[in-house]
Amino acid sequence: MSPTPNRGRRALLATTSALGAATLAAPWPTRAQPAPIRLGTLTPLTGAGGPYGPVMANTAKAVVDAVNAAGGVAGRRVELVSEDDQTNPEAGVRAARKLIDVDKVSAVIGTWASSVTTAVAPLCWESKTFLCTVSGADSITQLPHQGYLIRTQPNTTLQGRKFGEYALQLGAKRMFFMTPQTPFAQSVFTNTKAALEKGGGTAELLIYDDKKPSLRTEVDQALRFKPDIVFMGGYAPDTTVLARDLFRAGFQGKLLSYGYAVNQKVAEANAEATEGAYTMSPSPAEGSGAFKRVVEITKSATPDPYSCQVYDHVSMVLMAIAAAKDASGTAIRDTVRKVCQGGGRKVDNAVDGIRAILAGEKVDYDGASGPCDFTDLGDIVDCRFRYEQARKGRIELIRIA
Amino acid sequence: MIDALLQATVNGLIAGTILAVPAIGFSAIFAVLNYPNFAIGALAAVGAYAGWLANARFGWPLEASLVAAFAGAAAAGLAAERLAMRPLEPAGALMMAIASLAAGLVLENLIRLAFGNDPRGYALPLARDLVVGGLRVGPQQLRNLGIALAIMAAVWAFLRWTRTGRAMRAVADNRDLARLRGIDPERVAMTTVAVGAGLAGFGGLLVGVDTAAEPVMGQRLVLSIFAAAVLGGLGSIPGAVAGALAIGIVEEWSVLLLNPAYRTAIAFAVILAVLTVRPAGLFGTRAD
Repeated sequence: MSPTPNRGRRALLATTSALGAATLAAPWPTRAQPAPIRLGTLTPLTGAGGPYGPVMANTAKAVVDAVNAAGGVAGRRVELVSEDDQTNPEAGVRAARKLIDVDKVSAVIGTWASSVTTAVAPLCWESKTFLCTVSGADSITQLPHQGYLIRTQPNTTLQGRKFGEYALQLGAKRMFFMTPQTPFAQSVFTNTKAALEKGGGTAELLIYDDKKPSLRTEVDQALRFKPDIVFMGGYAPDTTVLARDLFRAGFQGKLLSYGYAVNQKVAEANAEATEGAYTMSPSPAEGSGAFKRVVEITKSATPDPYSCQVYDHVSMVLMAIAAAKDASGTAIRDTVRKVCQGGGRKVDNAVDGIRAILAGEKVDYDGASGPCDFTDLGDIVDCRFRYEQARKGRIELIRIA
Repeated sequence: MIDALLQATVNGLIAGTILAVPAIGFSAIFAVLNYPNFAIGALAAVGAYAGWLANARFGWPLEASLVAAFAGAAAAGLAAERLAMRPLEPAGALMMAIASLAAGLVLENLIRLAFGNDPRGYALPLARDLVVGGLRVGPQQLRNLGIALAIMAAVWAFLRWTRTGRAMRAVADNRDLARLRGIDPERVAMTTVAVGAGLAGFGGLLVGVDTAAEPVMGQRLVLSIFAAAVLGGLGSIPGAVAGALAIGIVEEWSVLLLNPAYRTAIAFAVILAVLTVRPAGLFGTRAD
């Protein structure tokens, strides 16, 4: 046997050790890049929220790309991991587990359906991961979240009251309130009804199964109440079924719904059935600098409120990380209000905000969805609403107030 | 209340007749291939989209769009069978059923990839209901009812009088005996998958015409289809029809009497009650 293999192995060993020593001896910056900051979006790419989730995820990515192009957050790159909650709590929990346990994200951004947010929130606060959501159910900010949660969507107490007042303004007194079972259904109904009753009106509730391919019998129930307005409280797919069955049944009264249920696509596909339907949704801050950026990102003159909110989520979280010089969920929790409320230089995007923070300035972020000021519970302090109506298959703006 | 009950019965009968079409497809596949094909809901959605393409994009009339719905769903059904379910045949019916669930998810997401998430409406006028004797019925519903009945008659004639139909029944009855008589069970199996999936496509189109084509519509349908087939006796064609009508009516009645949260529970309570008395289902003969 030739001695060469042995010598070869020794030589290899020597080289490897030398390399190892060289690596250890090298100064810190050449040894490794600073660890990237990881954020996760958890939006409904599929399911009833499917029309919104992909745009939301793209908007988040655009903010991250802009920040990375400007040098990241204090030299640290930002990585964005996008997951699909399927508008379904079980799928949402699985995806959140992956984001938290595998990707180790600092914050989870963009949960949409209240049922998903309710399921995902405990995983976030238990793992000290920050959660930004666009869900409206009252119960969400009342969870024991220890501050690890903020939302940019007005809660359902406020939305319900606004719906009731709006119905009265439209001259309606008898409302039949039709909704699938959601975490916010009861709260919106109670508050809508209270507002209606204050004005001498009344309301009745019917909870339907949103998986049913036809809602004719439910519509018969509604018509027996002799309503002058029907509230359609579902998501887009079941609202399509409901609006068509109401039309077929010859209902002549008014229709009222959420902006995400009777949206442009639903109105287009069901022009006759949705004709004249009124909608109300939290209004983005149209005309603001941040809003204009979301218009550019989404290539839509009227981006949906959720994409505007996600734009704000990512911007606020990254600015909070810059201000805290720490990317942990706890640091974001403790710092986020310092960069978006309480005075300071007004900024409307993450790049300017991070630059100002690194220069030692105090900033106050005003976003695409609104002023982005939060209560201790995590609710927004102020919000305007967008009132719209479906006319000949198009959604037309009535007013923002 | 009597009025409401009658109206709910009419609504249920119409819903049940439409549900019967994909339920027949499901039952036929079960009878010949011996596994429950849970991709049936997604196949209905494929049919709804194929029909929508023909009707709304290419301007075909509704009856012609049925051909597109059948062909689209049959092709998707055959592809799913070849690529997902058949390779797992040696592992047994349970594995094939699970594979069909997966195939359904893949199909649903392929639809999303091609058409997006938004609902698509057929290019058909939305008509107000007619009131006959105090009961409301929609003209489009009547048309759908007519189409569903014609499809069922055609399926019945096909199974009874054509060579392929008789071969299908023979294989369902006894695979080995059928092979002895010179029938190629493989060919019959593939024909059954194509016909079964095509029927699901018809059902999807009829539901899509009533509401809209959307990717999640399969999920709405699959439980009711399965319940109808089990209630009627898995593998029995008349059973699937009877089961679908029963499920249709019970689902509408339950709206009047109960909180809708219990609707699915009601369907299963009915199945449980019927199967307790008749373990093979209303028309089933296999489990005796």
